[in-house]
Amino acid sequence: MTRNKELKGQVKRHGFSTRFVHWTVAVSTFLLIFSGFGQLPLYKRYFVDQLAGLGWTSNFSVTLMIHYVAAIALIFAVAYHLTYHIMRKEYDIFPKRGDVKESIQIIKAMLGRGEEPENDKYLAEQRLAYAFIGGALLLIILTGAIKVVKNLSAIEFSSDFLWVTTTLHNVATFLVLFGIIGHLAAFIFKENRGLLSSMFNGKVDADYAKERHSKWYKRVDVNKNVDVDM
Amino acid sequence: MGGFSRRDFLKRTAASGVAGGIALSGVKIAEASTGESVGTMIDLTKCDGCKGKDVPDCVSACKTENMDKFPEPVENIGNYWPQKKYEDWSEKRGLTNRITPYNWTFVQTVKVQHGGKEHEVAVPRRCMHCDNPPCVNICPFSAQDKKKEGPVVIDPDLCFGGAKCRGVCPWGIPARQAGVGLYLKIAPKFAGGGVMYKCDLCYDRIKVGKRPACVEACPKGAISYGSKSEMLATAEQKAKEIDGFIYGDKENGGTSTFYVSPVPFEKVHKELMAQKSQQKNPQAPGFPGMQVGVGNFLDTPNGIAAGMLVAPIAGMFAAGAAAVKTMKGEKNND
Repeated sequence: MTRNKELKGQVKRHGFSTRFVHWTVAVSTFLLIFSGFGQLPLYKRYFVDQLAGLGWTSNFSVTLMIHYVAAIALIFAVAYHLTYHIMRKEYDIFPKRGDVKESIQIIKAMLGRGEEPENDKYLAEQRLAYAFIGGALLLIILTGAIKVVKNLSAIEFSSDFLWVTTTLHNVATFLVLFGIIGHLAAFIFKENRGLLSSMFNGKVDADYAKERHSKWYKRVDVNKNVDVDM
Repeated sequence: MGGFSRRDFLKRTAASGVAGGIALSGVKIAEASTGESVGTMIDLTKCDGCKGKDVPDCVSACKTENMDKFPEPVENIGNYWPQKKYEDWSEKRGLTNRITPYNWTFVQTVKVQHGGKEHEVAVPRRCMHCDNPPCVNICPFSAQDKKKEGPVVIDPDLCFGGAKCRGVCPWGIPARQAGVGLYLKIAPKFAGGGVMYKCDLCYDRIKVGKRPACVEACPKGAISYGSKSEMLATAEQKAKEIDGFIYGDKENGGTSTFYVSPVPFEKVHKELMAQKSQQKNPQAPGFPGMQVGVGNFLDTPNGIAAGMLVAPIAGMFAAGAAAVKTMKGEKNND
Protein backbone atom coordinates (compact mmCIF):
# COMPACT_ATOMS: atom_id res chain seq x y z
CA MET A 1 0.00 0.00 0.00
CA THR A 2 2.78 2.43 0.81
CA ARG A 3 3.76 2.09 -2.81
CA ASN A 4 0.94 4.47 -3.55
CA LYS A 5 2.39 7.23 -1.49
CA GLU A 6 6.13 7.52 -1.51
CA LEU A 7 7.78 7.05 -4.88
CA LYS A 8 11.24 8.55 -5.10
CA GLY A 9 10.15 11.61 -3.19
CA GLN A 10 6.90 11.77 -5.08
CA VAL A 11 3.36 11.19 -3.94
CA LYS A 12 0.67 9.63 -6.08
CA ARG A 13 -2.10 12.09 -6.90
CA HIS A 14 -4.02 10.71 -9.88
CA GLY A 15 -4.65 7.16 -10.99
CA PHE A 16 -5.09 5.94 -14.53
CA SER A 17 -8.85 6.65 -14.60
CA THR A 18 -8.45 10.32 -13.74
CA ARG A 19 -5.74 10.88 -16.31
CA PHE A 20 -7.65 8.93 -18.93
CA VAL A 21 -10.75 11.05 -18.36
CA HIS A 22 -8.77 14.31 -18.30
CA TRP A 23 -7.02 13.67 -21.60
CA THR A 24 -10.07 12.19 -23.32
CA VAL A 25 -12.05 15.27 -22.34
CA ALA A 26 -9.18 17.55 -23.39
CA VAL A 27 -8.65 15.98 -26.81
CA SER A 28 -12.35 15.53 -27.59
CA THR A 29 -13.16 19.08 -26.48
CA PHE A 30 -10.39 20.47 -28.66
CA LEU A 31 -11.73 18.51 -31.63
CA LEU A 32 -15.29 19.60 -30.84
CA ILE A 33 -14.35 23.26 -30.68
CA PHE A 34 -12.23 23.08 -33.82
CA SER A 35 -14.84 21.17 -35.84
CA GLY A 36 -17.63 23.28 -34.33
CA PHE A 37 -16.08 26.49 -35.56
CA GLY A 38 -15.81 24.79 -38.94
CA GLN A 39 -19.61 24.47 -38.85
CA LEU A 40 -20.13 28.21 -38.48
CA PRO A 41 -18.63 28.23 -41.26
CA LEU A 42 -15.27 29.90 -40.84
CA TYR A 43 -12.31 28.13 -42.37
CA LYS A 44 -12.94 28.87 -46.03
CA ARG A 45 -13.41 32.57 -45.41
CA TYR A 46 -10.26 32.77 -43.30
CA PHE A 47 -8.18 30.67 -45.73
CA VAL A 48 -7.55 27.97 -43.10
CA ASP A 49 -8.35 25.40 -45.78
CA GLN A 50 -5.53 26.84 -47.87
CA LEU A 51 -2.95 25.74 -45.30
CA ALA A 52 -1.02 22.57 -46.04
CA GLY A 53 -2.91 19.51 -44.86
CA LEU A 54 -5.99 21.49 -43.78
CA GLY A 55 -7.95 21.40 -47.02
CA TRP A 56 -10.61 19.28 -45.31
CA THR A 57 -11.46 21.99 -42.75
CA SER A 58 -13.96 23.71 -45.03
CA ASN A 59 -15.73 20.43 -45.84
CA PHE A 60 -18.84 20.43 -43.62
CA SER A 61 -19.35 16.69 -43.89
CA VAL A 62 -15.82 16.02 -42.60
CA THR A 63 -16.03 18.52 -39.73
CA LEU A 64 -19.50 17.27 -38.78
CA MET A 65 -18.26 13.68 -38.62
CA ILE A 66 -15.34 14.78 -36.43
CA HIS A 67 -17.86 16.61 -34.24
CA TYR A 68 -20.00 13.49 -33.84
CA VAL A 69 -17.08 11.14 -33.14
CA ALA A 70 -15.51 13.57 -30.66
CA ALA A 71 -18.90 13.99 -28.98
CA ILE A 72 -19.13 10.22 -28.51
CA ALA A 73 -15.68 10.27 -26.86
CA LEU A 74 -16.63 13.20 -24.62
CA ILE A 75 -19.92 11.61 -23.53
CA PHE A 76 -18.10 8.36 -22.81
CA ALA A 77 -15.50 10.17 -20.69
CA VAL A 78 -18.09 12.21 -18.76
CA ALA A 79 -20.18 9.11 -18.01
CA TYR A 80 -17.01 7.29 -16.96
CA HIS A 81 -15.93 10.16 -14.73
CA LEU A 82 -19.24 10.52 -12.92
CA THR A 83 -19.76 6.79 -12.45
CA TYR A 84 -16.22 6.13 -11.30
CA HIS A 85 -16.11 8.81 -8.63
CA ILE A 86 -19.66 8.32 -7.43
CA MET A 87 -18.91 4.63 -6.91
CA ARG A 88 -15.72 5.49 -5.08
CA LYS A 89 -17.43 8.28 -3.13
CA GLU A 90 -14.78 10.79 -4.11
CA TYR A 91 -16.05 14.33 -4.06
CA ASP A 92 -12.92 16.34 -3.23
CA ILE A 93 -13.30 18.42 -6.38
CA PHE A 94 -16.82 19.70 -5.74
CA PRO A 95 -17.01 23.36 -4.72
CA LYS A 96 -17.42 24.14 -1.04
CA ARG A 97 -18.93 27.10 0.75
CA GLY A 98 -16.45 29.95 0.87
CA ASP A 99 -14.48 28.83 -2.18
CA VAL A 100 -14.81 32.18 -3.95
CA LYS A 101 -13.38 34.03 -0.97
CA GLU A 102 -10.66 31.43 -0.54
CA SER A 103 -9.75 31.62 -4.23
CA ILE A 104 -9.16 35.34 -3.96
CA GLN A 105 -7.00 34.71 -0.90
CA ILE A 106 -4.91 32.13 -2.81
CA ILE A 107 -4.44 34.40 -5.83
CA LYS A 108 -3.45 37.28 -3.54
CA ALA A 109 -0.93 35.03 -1.82
CA MET A 110 0.58 34.02 -5.17
CA LEU A 111 0.98 37.72 -5.92
CA GLY A 112 2.89 38.10 -2.68
CA ARG A 113 0.12 39.54 -0.56
CA GLY A 114 -0.89 37.62 2.51
CA GLU A 115 -0.73 33.99 3.52
CA GLU A 116 -2.16 31.11 1.51
CA PRO A 117 -4.76 29.03 3.36
CA GLU A 118 -4.16 25.36 4.04
CA ASN A 119 -5.31 23.52 0.95
CA ASP A 120 -6.93 20.16 0.54
CA LYS A 121 -6.40 17.93 -2.50
CA TYR A 122 -7.71 20.72 -4.72
CA LEU A 123 -7.34 24.46 -4.37
CA ALA A 124 -10.57 26.43 -3.97
CA GLU A 125 -10.19 27.85 -7.47
CA GLN A 126 -9.66 24.38 -8.90
CA ARG A 127 -12.95 23.31 -7.38
CA LEU A 128 -14.69 26.35 -8.86
CA ALA A 129 -13.04 25.82 -12.25
CA TYR A 130 -14.18 22.19 -12.22
CA ALA A 131 -17.78 23.23 -11.53
CA PHE A 132 -17.64 25.92 -14.22
CA ILE A 133 -16.14 23.79 -16.97
CA GLY A 134 -18.11 20.71 -15.91
CA GLY A 135 -21.39 22.64 -15.90
CA ALA A 136 -20.66 24.14 -19.32
CA LEU A 137 -19.77 20.69 -20.71
CA LEU A 138 -23.00 19.20 -19.37
CA LEU A 139 -24.95 22.04 -21.01
CA ILE A 140 -23.10 21.44 -24.26
CA ILE A 141 -23.78 17.70 -24.13
CA LEU A 142 -27.47 18.16 -23.38
CA THR A 143 -28.03 20.75 -26.10
CA GLY A 144 -25.80 18.83 -28.51
CA ALA A 145 -27.85 15.68 -27.92
CA ILE A 146 -31.02 17.57 -28.79
CA LYS A 147 -29.34 18.82 -31.98
CA VAL A 148 -28.36 15.26 -32.91
CA VAL A 149 -31.93 14.05 -32.37
CA LYS A 150 -33.18 17.01 -34.43
CA ASN A 151 -31.02 15.88 -37.35
CA LEU A 152 -32.82 12.54 -37.48
CA SER A 153 -35.58 12.66 -40.03
CA ALA A 154 -38.47 11.33 -37.97
CA ILE A 155 -38.31 13.87 -35.18
CA GLU A 156 -39.41 17.49 -35.25
CA PHE A 157 -39.05 20.14 -32.59
CA SER A 158 -40.60 23.57 -32.51
CA SER A 159 -38.47 26.33 -34.04
CA ASP A 160 -38.42 28.32 -30.77
CA PHE A 161 -37.18 25.32 -28.82
CA LEU A 162 -34.48 24.69 -31.40
CA TRP A 163 -33.41 28.33 -31.40
CA VAL A 164 -33.00 28.27 -27.62
CA THR A 165 -31.11 24.96 -27.84
CA THR A 166 -28.80 26.20 -30.59
CA THR A 167 -28.12 29.46 -28.81
CA LEU A 168 -27.36 27.70 -25.52
CA HIS A 169 -25.04 25.32 -27.41
CA ASN A 170 -23.20 28.29 -28.92
CA VAL A 171 -23.03 30.19 -25.61
CA ALA A 172 -21.80 27.08 -23.77
CA THR A 173 -19.04 26.73 -26.37
CA PHE A 174 -17.68 30.10 -25.37
CA LEU A 175 -18.06 29.27 -21.66
CA VAL A 176 -15.96 26.15 -22.20
CA LEU A 177 -13.46 28.17 -24.21
CA PHE A 178 -13.15 30.75 -21.42
CA GLY A 179 -12.86 27.91 -18.91
CA ILE A 180 -10.00 26.30 -20.84
CA ILE A 181 -8.19 29.63 -21.18
CA GLY A 182 -8.55 30.14 -17.41
CA HIS A 183 -7.43 26.57 -16.74
CA LEU A 184 -4.28 27.01 -18.84
CA ALA A 185 -3.67 30.55 -17.54
CA ALA A 186 -3.36 29.07 -14.05
CA PHE A 187 0.07 27.84 -15.09
CA ILE A 188 1.27 31.40 -15.58
CA PHE A 189 1.75 31.24 -11.80
CA LYS A 190 4.87 29.31 -10.99
CA GLU A 191 3.23 28.09 -7.77
CA ASN A 192 0.73 26.04 -9.75
CA ARG A 193 3.20 24.31 -12.03
CA GLY A 194 4.07 21.69 -9.43
CA LEU A 195 0.81 19.93 -10.27
CA LEU A 196 1.55 19.57 -14.00
CA SER A 197 3.39 16.29 -13.69
CA SER A 198 0.41 14.61 -12.02
CA MET A 199 -1.64 14.76 -15.20
CA PHE A 200 1.12 12.92 -17.05
CA ASN A 201 2.59 10.37 -14.64
CA GLY A 202 0.06 10.69 -11.83
CA LYS A 203 2.58 11.94 -9.26
CA VAL A 204 3.57 15.20 -7.63
CA ASP A 205 6.64 16.09 -5.70
CA ALA A 206 6.15 15.05 -2.06
CA ASP A 207 7.53 18.33 -0.76
CA TYR A 208 5.19 20.28 -2.97
CA ALA A 209 2.19 18.26 -1.79
CA LYS A 210 3.23 18.69 1.84
CA GLU A 211 3.56 22.44 1.49
CA ARG A 212 0.74 23.37 -0.90
CA HIS A 213 -1.82 20.65 -0.23
CA SER A 214 -1.11 20.06 3.40
CA LYS A 215 -4.63 18.94 4.35
CA TRP A 216 -4.62 16.31 1.62
CA TYR A 217 -1.05 15.27 2.34
CA LYS A 218 -1.83 14.70 5.99
CA ARG A 219 -4.81 12.58 5.06
CA VAL A 220 -2.81 10.46 2.69
CA ASP A 221 -0.08 10.15 5.29
CA VAL A 222 -2.44 9.06 8.02
CA ASN A 223 -4.54 6.66 5.99
CA LYS A 224 -1.75 5.26 3.90
CA ASN A 225 -4.31 3.64 1.69
CA VAL A 226 -5.03 3.74 -1.99
CA ASP A 227 -7.72 6.35 -1.61
CA VAL A 228 -5.81 8.91 -3.56
CA ASP A 229 -7.25 8.28 -6.95
CA MET A 230 -9.22 11.44 -7.73
CA MET B 1 -18.22 18.83 1.56
CA GLY B 2 -19.54 22.16 2.83
CA GLY B 3 -22.65 23.29 0.98
CA PHE B 4 -22.64 20.55 -1.60
CA SER B 5 -23.25 17.06 -0.33
CA ARG B 6 -23.23 13.84 -2.28
CA ARG B 7 -26.96 13.67 -1.83
CA ASP B 8 -27.28 17.14 -3.37
CA PHE B 9 -25.16 16.04 -6.26
CA LEU B 10 -27.13 12.87 -6.90
CA LYS B 11 -30.40 14.78 -6.63
CA ARG B 12 -29.20 17.36 -9.09
CA THR B 13 -27.83 14.78 -11.49
CA ALA B 14 -31.09 12.87 -11.43
CA ALA B 15 -33.07 16.11 -11.87
CA SER B 16 -31.03 17.15 -14.89
CA GLY B 17 -31.49 13.72 -16.44
CA VAL B 18 -35.25 13.85 -15.93
CA ALA B 19 -35.41 17.39 -17.30
CA GLY B 20 -33.46 16.30 -20.37
CA GLY B 21 -35.78 13.33 -20.84
CA ILE B 22 -38.88 15.49 -20.61
CA ALA B 23 -37.36 18.01 -22.97
CA LEU B 24 -36.65 15.30 -25.49
CA SER B 25 -39.75 13.17 -25.35
CA GLY B 26 -42.23 15.87 -24.37
CA VAL B 27 -41.34 18.19 -27.20
CA LYS B 28 -41.31 15.34 -29.63
CA ILE B 29 -44.86 14.42 -28.70
CA ALA B 30 -45.99 18.03 -28.75
CA GLU B 31 -44.51 18.75 -32.16
CA ALA B 32 -45.16 15.46 -33.89
CA SER B 33 -47.12 15.85 -37.10
CA THR B 34 -50.20 17.94 -36.56
CA GLY B 35 -52.12 17.50 -39.78
CA GLU B 36 -50.92 16.66 -43.24
CA SER B 37 -48.35 18.79 -44.98
CA VAL B 38 -48.69 20.19 -48.47
CA GLY B 39 -46.76 19.57 -51.65
CA THR B 40 -46.66 20.26 -55.35
CA MET B 41 -46.60 18.15 -58.49
CA ILE B 42 -44.93 19.64 -61.54
CA ASP B 43 -46.04 18.05 -64.78
CA LEU B 44 -43.26 18.49 -67.31
CA THR B 45 -45.49 17.26 -70.12
CA LYS B 46 -47.52 20.44 -69.65
CA CYS B 47 -44.88 23.07 -68.87
CA ASP B 48 -43.40 24.71 -71.95
CA GLY B 49 -41.57 27.50 -70.14
CA CYS B 50 -44.21 29.97 -71.42
CA LYS B 51 -42.82 29.89 -74.93
CA GLY B 52 -42.98 33.23 -76.63
CA LYS B 53 -42.95 35.21 -73.42
CA ASP B 54 -39.86 37.03 -72.15
CA VAL B 55 -40.39 35.71 -68.66
CA PRO B 56 -42.44 32.63 -67.73
CA ASP B 57 -45.62 33.49 -65.84
CA CYS B 58 -44.65 31.53 -62.73
CA VAL B 59 -41.41 33.54 -62.50
CA SER B 60 -43.20 36.87 -62.92
CA ALA B 61 -45.84 35.91 -60.37
CA CYS B 62 -43.18 34.84 -57.88
CA LYS B 63 -41.33 38.13 -58.28
CA THR B 64 -44.49 40.16 -57.79
CA GLU B 65 -45.61 38.13 -54.81
CA ASN B 66 -42.28 38.36 -53.00
CA MET B 67 -41.20 41.86 -54.00
CA ASP B 68 -41.56 43.16 -50.44
CA LYS B 69 -39.29 40.40 -49.13
CA PHE B 70 -36.43 41.07 -51.52
CA PRO B 71 -33.29 42.50 -49.88
CA GLU B 72 -32.47 46.19 -49.86
CA PRO B 73 -28.75 46.20 -49.01
CA VAL B 74 -26.80 49.11 -47.56
CA GLU B 75 -25.00 51.34 -50.04
CA ASN B 76 -21.41 50.48 -49.27
CA ILE B 77 -21.21 46.75 -48.75
CA GLY B 78 -17.96 45.67 -47.13
CA ASN B 79 -15.85 42.72 -48.22
CA TYR B 80 -15.97 39.42 -46.35
CA TRP B 81 -12.63 40.16 -44.69
CA PRO B 82 -9.98 38.82 -45.21
CA GLN B 83 -11.48 37.90 -48.58
CA LYS B 84 -11.67 40.68 -51.11
CA LYS B 85 -15.20 39.99 -52.24
CA TYR B 86 -18.85 39.93 -51.25
CA GLU B 87 -21.93 38.45 -52.83
CA ASP B 88 -24.13 41.09 -54.38
CA TRP B 89 -27.05 40.45 -56.71
CA SER B 90 -28.74 43.80 -56.14
CA GLU B 91 -27.42 45.15 -59.43
CA LYS B 92 -28.83 42.11 -61.23
CA ARG B 93 -32.37 42.17 -59.95
CA GLY B 94 -33.72 41.58 -63.43
CA LEU B 95 -32.05 38.17 -63.86
CA THR B 96 -34.63 35.48 -64.52
CA ASN B 97 -32.43 32.71 -65.89
CA ARG B 98 -31.14 31.47 -62.53
CA ILE B 99 -31.95 31.51 -58.81
CA THR B 100 -30.90 34.74 -57.07
CA PRO B 101 -32.03 36.56 -53.92
CA TYR B 102 -34.35 38.49 -56.29
CA ASN B 103 -35.52 35.52 -58.33
CA TRP B 104 -36.71 32.52 -56.35
CA THR B 105 -37.85 30.40 -59.25
CA PHE B 106 -36.83 30.04 -62.89
CA VAL B 107 -37.34 27.67 -65.78
CA GLN B 108 -34.58 25.54 -67.28
CA THR B 109 -35.08 24.21 -70.77
CA VAL B 110 -33.26 21.17 -72.15
CA LYS B 111 -33.43 19.12 -75.30
CA VAL B 112 -32.88 15.40 -74.76
CA GLN B 113 -33.13 12.31 -76.91
CA HIS B 114 -35.39 9.57 -75.56
CA GLY B 115 -37.35 6.75 -77.16
CA GLY B 116 -36.01 7.61 -80.57
CA LYS B 117 -37.13 11.24 -80.61
CA GLU B 118 -36.08 14.60 -79.30
CA HIS B 119 -37.95 16.07 -76.35
CA GLU B 120 -37.79 19.66 -75.29
CA VAL B 121 -38.38 19.72 -71.56
CA ALA B 122 -38.97 22.89 -69.53
CA VAL B 123 -38.32 22.49 -65.80
CA PRO B 124 -39.46 25.12 -63.28
CA ARG B 125 -36.89 25.16 -60.49
CA ARG B 126 -37.03 26.33 -56.88
CA CYS B 127 -36.67 24.94 -53.36
CA MET B 128 -37.94 21.36 -53.18
CA HIS B 129 -39.08 21.73 -49.52
CA CYS B 130 -37.43 18.52 -48.34
CA ASP B 131 -38.79 16.15 -45.70
CA ASN B 132 -35.60 16.29 -43.61
CA PRO B 133 -33.97 19.45 -44.91
CA PRO B 134 -30.23 19.56 -44.22
CA CYS B 135 -30.33 23.34 -44.69
CA VAL B 136 -32.60 23.62 -41.64
CA ASN B 137 -30.71 21.10 -39.56
CA ILE B 138 -27.21 22.42 -40.08
CA CYS B 139 -27.97 26.12 -39.72
CA PRO B 140 -25.63 27.21 -36.89
CA PHE B 141 -28.18 29.74 -35.65
CA SER B 142 -31.43 27.82 -36.24
CA ALA B 143 -32.53 30.54 -38.64
CA GLN B 144 -34.42 28.08 -40.83
CA ASP B 145 -37.51 26.13 -40.05
CA LYS B 146 -39.46 23.28 -41.60
CA LYS B 147 -43.04 24.41 -41.04
CA LYS B 148 -45.61 21.84 -40.05
CA GLU B 149 -47.47 22.72 -43.25
CA GLY B 150 -44.41 21.57 -45.22
CA PRO B 151 -42.52 24.63 -46.49
CA VAL B 152 -38.94 25.31 -45.47
CA VAL B 153 -38.68 28.95 -44.43
CA ILE B 154 -35.66 31.14 -43.70
CA ASP B 155 -36.02 33.81 -41.01
CA PRO B 156 -34.29 36.88 -42.54
CA ASP B 157 -33.95 38.45 -39.09
CA LEU B 158 -31.92 35.54 -37.70
CA CYS B 159 -29.92 34.52 -40.78
CA PHE B 160 -26.24 35.42 -40.68
CA GLY B 161 -25.55 34.60 -44.32
CA GLY B 162 -22.84 32.00 -43.86
CA ALA B 163 -24.33 30.18 -46.86
CA LYS B 164 -23.75 26.78 -45.30
CA CYS B 165 -27.36 25.90 -46.18
CA ARG B 166 -26.52 26.41 -49.84
CA GLY B 167 -23.49 24.15 -49.44
CA VAL B 168 -25.49 21.24 -48.05
CA CYS B 169 -28.49 21.64 -50.37
CA PRO B 170 -28.14 19.12 -53.22
CA TRP B 171 -29.40 21.83 -55.56
CA GLY B 172 -27.63 24.84 -53.97
CA ILE B 173 -30.94 26.69 -53.80
CA PRO B 174 -30.58 29.33 -51.04
CA ALA B 175 -29.19 32.53 -52.56
CA ARG B 176 -27.12 35.05 -50.62
CA GLN B 177 -27.26 38.80 -50.62
CA ALA B 178 -24.62 40.77 -48.74
CA GLY B 179 -25.14 44.13 -47.04
CA VAL B 180 -28.36 43.15 -45.33
CA GLY B 181 -29.39 41.43 -42.10
CA LEU B 182 -28.24 40.71 -38.58
CA TYR B 183 -24.52 40.44 -39.31
CA LEU B 184 -24.34 44.16 -40.03
CA LYS B 185 -25.18 44.82 -36.38
CA ILE B 186 -22.53 42.46 -34.92
CA ALA B 187 -19.15 42.43 -36.66
CA PRO B 188 -19.83 42.80 -40.38
CA LYS B 189 -16.19 42.88 -41.33
CA PHE B 190 -15.29 39.63 -39.60
CA ALA B 191 -18.36 37.39 -39.46
CA GLY B 192 -21.47 36.74 -41.52
CA GLY B 193 -22.21 37.44 -45.12
CA GLY B 194 -25.76 38.72 -45.47
CA VAL B 195 -29.04 36.87 -45.64
CA MET B 196 -30.07 33.76 -47.56
CA TYR B 197 -33.23 33.91 -49.64
CA LYS B 198 -35.33 31.27 -51.35
CA CYS B 199 -38.82 30.12 -52.16
CA ASP B 200 -41.01 29.64 -49.09
CA LEU B 201 -43.85 28.11 -51.12
CA CYS B 202 -45.72 31.37 -50.49
CA TYR B 203 -46.05 30.43 -46.85
CA ASP B 204 -48.13 33.53 -46.06
CA ARG B 205 -50.60 32.56 -48.74
CA ILE B 206 -50.92 28.86 -47.96
CA LYS B 207 -51.42 29.61 -44.25
CA VAL B 208 -54.65 31.34 -45.16
CA GLY B 209 -55.76 28.65 -47.56
CA LYS B 210 -54.54 30.23 -50.80
CA ARG B 211 -52.38 28.49 -53.39
CA PRO B 212 -48.76 29.52 -54.10
CA ALA B 213 -48.45 32.33 -56.65
CA CYS B 214 -46.63 30.17 -59.23
CA VAL B 215 -49.39 27.56 -59.08
CA GLU B 216 -52.08 30.17 -59.74
CA ALA B 217 -50.10 31.88 -62.49
CA CYS B 218 -49.25 28.84 -64.60
CA PRO B 219 -51.31 29.11 -67.82
CA LYS B 220 -50.93 25.40 -68.54
CA GLY B 221 -51.88 24.11 -65.12
CA ALA B 222 -48.51 22.38 -64.96
CA ILE B 223 -48.03 22.94 -61.23
CA SER B 224 -50.53 21.21 -58.97
CA TYR B 225 -50.83 21.99 -55.29
CA GLY B 226 -52.44 19.96 -52.52
CA SER B 227 -51.74 17.56 -49.73
CA LYS B 228 -48.34 15.95 -50.13
CA SER B 229 -49.68 12.41 -50.29
CA GLU B 230 -52.24 13.46 -52.88
CA MET B 231 -49.51 15.12 -54.96
CA LEU B 232 -47.33 12.02 -54.82
CA ALA B 233 -50.26 9.82 -55.82
CA THR B 234 -51.03 12.17 -58.72
CA ALA B 235 -47.39 12.08 -59.79
CA GLU B 236 -47.32 8.30 -59.68
CA GLN B 237 -50.54 8.06 -61.63
CA LYS B 238 -49.26 10.46 -64.27
CA ALA B 239 -45.91 8.69 -64.54
CA LYS B 240 -47.74 5.42 -65.05
CA GLU B 241 -49.93 6.92 -67.75
CA ILE B 242 -47.06 8.31 -69.79
CA ASP B 243 -44.53 5.63 -68.88
CA GLY B 244 -42.55 8.49 -67.40
CA PHE B 245 -40.29 9.29 -64.50
CA ILE B 246 -40.60 10.97 -61.09
CA TYR B 247 -38.06 13.24 -59.45
CA GLY B 248 -38.24 14.44 -55.84
CA ASP B 249 -39.86 11.48 -54.09
CA LYS B 250 -36.59 9.88 -53.03
CA GLU B 251 -34.01 12.60 -53.62
CA ASN B 252 -32.39 14.07 -50.50
CA GLY B 253 -34.36 11.54 -48.46
CA GLY B 254 -37.70 12.73 -49.89
CA THR B 255 -39.14 16.14 -50.73
CA SER B 256 -42.58 17.64 -51.15
CA THR B 257 -42.04 18.56 -54.82
CA PHE B 258 -42.68 15.85 -57.41
CA TYR B 259 -41.66 16.33 -61.03
CA VAL B 260 -43.11 14.01 -63.65
CA SER B 261 -41.23 13.80 -66.92
CA PRO B 262 -41.53 11.78 -70.13
CA VAL B 263 -37.72 11.50 -70.21
CA PRO B 264 -35.33 10.06 -67.62
CA PHE B 265 -33.97 12.67 -65.22
CA GLU B 266 -30.47 11.31 -65.70
CA LYS B 267 -30.62 12.76 -69.22
CA VAL B 268 -32.08 16.05 -67.99
CA HIS B 269 -29.33 16.31 -65.39
CA LYS B 270 -26.62 15.59 -67.92
CA GLU B 271 -27.91 18.28 -70.24
CA LEU B 272 -28.22 20.79 -67.37
CA MET B 273 -24.64 20.13 -66.33
CA ALA B 274 -23.53 20.66 -69.92
CA GLN B 275 -25.35 24.00 -69.98
CA LYS B 276 -23.83 25.00 -66.66
CA SER B 277 -20.32 24.21 -67.82
CA GLN B 278 -20.77 26.54 -70.76
CA GLN B 279 -21.83 29.50 -68.64
CA LYS B 280 -19.53 32.49 -68.22
CA ASN B 281 -18.85 31.43 -64.65
CA PRO B 282 -19.76 27.75 -64.23
CA GLN B 283 -19.09 28.00 -60.49
CA ALA B 284 -21.74 30.69 -59.95
CA PRO B 285 -24.61 29.52 -57.75
CA GLY B 286 -28.24 29.39 -58.75
CA PHE B 287 -28.25 26.92 -61.65
CA PRO B 288 -29.10 23.52 -60.14
CA GLY B 289 -28.82 20.10 -61.70
CA MET B 290 -31.21 17.18 -61.17
CA GLN B 291 -29.00 14.40 -59.90
CA VAL B 292 -31.12 11.29 -59.56
CA GLY B 293 -31.18 9.65 -56.11
CA VAL B 294 -28.97 12.34 -54.58
CA GLY B 295 -28.44 11.55 -50.87
CA ASN B 296 -29.02 13.67 -47.80
CA PHE B 297 -26.02 15.43 -46.28
CA LEU B 298 -27.00 14.06 -42.87
CA ASP B 299 -27.20 10.39 -43.86
CA THR B 300 -23.68 9.59 -42.65
CA PRO B 301 -23.74 11.52 -39.33
CA ASN B 302 -27.20 10.15 -38.59
CA GLY B 303 -25.77 6.69 -39.12
CA ILE B 304 -23.45 7.11 -36.16
CA ALA B 305 -25.93 8.96 -33.94
CA ALA B 306 -26.63 5.68 -32.16
CA GLY B 307 -23.06 5.86 -30.91
CA MET B 308 -24.12 8.76 -28.70
CA LEU B 309 -26.65 6.53 -26.98
CA VAL B 310 -24.12 3.78 -26.46
CA ALA B 311 -21.34 6.12 -25.26
CA PRO B 312 -22.73 6.94 -21.79
CA ILE B 313 -23.69 3.32 -21.14
CA ALA B 314 -20.26 2.10 -22.24
CA GLY B 315 -18.64 4.81 -20.10
CA MET B 316 -20.61 3.75 -17.05
CA PHE B 317 -19.76 0.09 -17.50
CA ALA B 318 -16.09 0.77 -18.07
CA ALA B 319 -15.97 3.07 -15.05
CA GLY B 320 -17.86 0.56 -12.94
CA ALA B 321 -15.35 -2.13 -13.78
CA ALA B 322 -12.43 0.20 -13.08
CA ALA B 323 -13.91 1.40 -9.80
CA VAL B 324 -14.58 -2.12 -8.55
CA LYS B 325 -11.08 -3.14 -9.52
CA THR B 326 -9.42 -0.27 -7.68
CA MET B 327 -11.69 -0.56 -4.67
CA LYS B 328 -10.70 -4.17 -4.32
CA GLY B 329 -7.23 -2.84 -3.83
CA GLU B 330 -5.87 -4.14 -7.04
CA LYS B 331 -2.97 -2.34 -8.55
CA ASN B 332 -3.60 0.53 -10.92
CA ASN B 333 -2.22 0.43 -14.38
CA ASP B 334 0.42 3.02 -13.71
